[in-house]
Amino acid sequence: MAEIYKLIHPLKYFNDYISRNIRPDGRKFTEQRNIKLNVNSLKTADASAVVKCGNTTIVCGIKLELATPKAEEPNQGFLVTNVELPALCSSKYKPGPPSDHAQVTNCLVSDIIVNSKSVDLKDLCIVPDKLAWVLYCDMVCLDNDGSLVDACIIALMASLKTLSLPSVTYDCETEEITVDENNKTPLKVHGMPVATSFAVYKALESDMLLMDPSTYEEDMCGGIGANFVVCCNNGLLCGTQKFGGSNPSTECQEEALKMAKHRVKLVEQVIEKCIKNNEIAMSR
Amino acid sequence: MGAEEQNIKEFKLKPMKCELNFLSKSDGSAILSQGETVALASVNGPLDVKMQSQSIEKSTLEVLFCSKGGKPSVGDRYKENIIRQTCETAILSSLYPRTAITITIQELEDYGGFLSCCLNTACLALVNSGVAMRHVFAAVSCALDDRGNILLEPTQQQLETARATMNFVFDSRQKSLVTSFTEGAFSEDTYKEALARCRSASDLVFSFYRDIVTKYSKVIG
Repeated sequence: MAEIYKLIHPLKYFNDYISRNIRPDGRKFTEQRNIKLNVNSLKTADASAVVKCGNTTIVCGIKLELATPKAEEPNQGFLVTNVELPALCSSKYKPGPPSDHAQVTNCLVSDIIVNSKSVDLKDLCIVPDKLAWVLYCDMVCLDNDGSLVDACIIALMASLKTLSLPSVTYDCETEEITVDENNKTPLKVHGMPVATSFAVYKALESDMLLMDPSTYEEDMCGGIGANFVVCCNNGLLCGTQKFGGSNPSTECQEEALKMAKHRVKLVEQVIEKCIKNNEIAMSR
Repeated sequence: MGAEEQNIKEFKLKPMKCELNFLSKSDGSAILSQGETVALASVNGPLDVKMQSQSIEKSTLEVLFCSKGGKPSVGDRYKENIIRQTCETAILSSLYPRTAITITIQELEDYGGFLSCCLNTACLALVNSGVAMRHVFAAVSCALDDRGNILLEPTQQQLETARATMNFVFDSRQKSLVTSFTEGAFSEDTYKEALARCRSASDLVFSFYRDIVTKYSKVIG
């Protein structure tokens, strides 16, 4: 019966839940979904992580490559992010070239990493103007159930934290490169940006914030890409994005900033604990 | 507080110049310069739409962003997305089901604050095209300099040295935030202050819109 009701009166169905202070999946407005994280899951990648936020699943793998730095920035390496939304992650995407949404998500993720300055690109340089590391960070979404940016950032940060760079010697005269895989130094990661998405739902009198929305909730609150994304890092904001959709009031925004700051601690704990567990498992 | 409030009232935006109906063949067009930054927008619609992107509930909004170089890039998709999402909230698209409205934006000169100039141009072109709208919107950008001062409508030099840049789009009815996007790191208080300043600055943009429309229309004014 409820299913039919949902089809016939989609808005009213959703509104009935919201007006009773609960979300269709049984969560409270400020409740996030469980985060499941696993690092070093892919053996072929140099660093990797799989994260599940509710049903949203992201696999992140980092591949290392050597390249010549850009002439404009001879002492900097590269960090290239790529978010892939294949057709299997949701019925909204079709096979073929990257969809607009994938490109936009990728822009958001790379902006957050750049703005938070969590990886200093100078650390990736080996010999100025000659040799530098390229980190290819590929994120593949296996299941898209909302709050993509959040999950991408968690997966990416967890992978970056476990990444270690092999030592490289470069002979300037012969231009010979030797990579010593046995001697690795962990990549320096400064800070820990955590993104939090909110869906803004315009109820009759006031607007509601739904933390960590699912796809269904995103659809009801202005469609794909209308989330209010707040990214915190070290107590500073490093990116707030909102494109269209319902308009949150000033109080709503303040509340969102507060909740986002609160969530940072939790996500940090998850990542650190996961990495620690992985280290214990590796040493055995 | 009193002195600060006065500061807010006395701020200035870059000089704006606009021409509507700049293109003869499109349903609505506008060219807008904010300082040295110039953008041109044209709106066509409601028109025919491909079956696959047709919606029976509302019109499909298509935004095409052409950069000066002409080569499409991922960054352009991002800009298109911002413009599309913002315009979608403003247009009463349910009045034109099974159609498409296309907005084409051409970059002419970029001397800082280009995306907010694009948004304002798009809004003026939409007004000019006569598409039914819920509200108009105004984009205001600001930058945070080394000393932590907030600069409204920064110039290119200011942008290069800025710690952070923030862009906000407000609607004309309640001045509520439609779109926001930021770059760089900043504190929560700075964000709030920048938001408040840009919100009051948006009044200037709205009054500019009014002046332009009055100038071009024989009925109003």
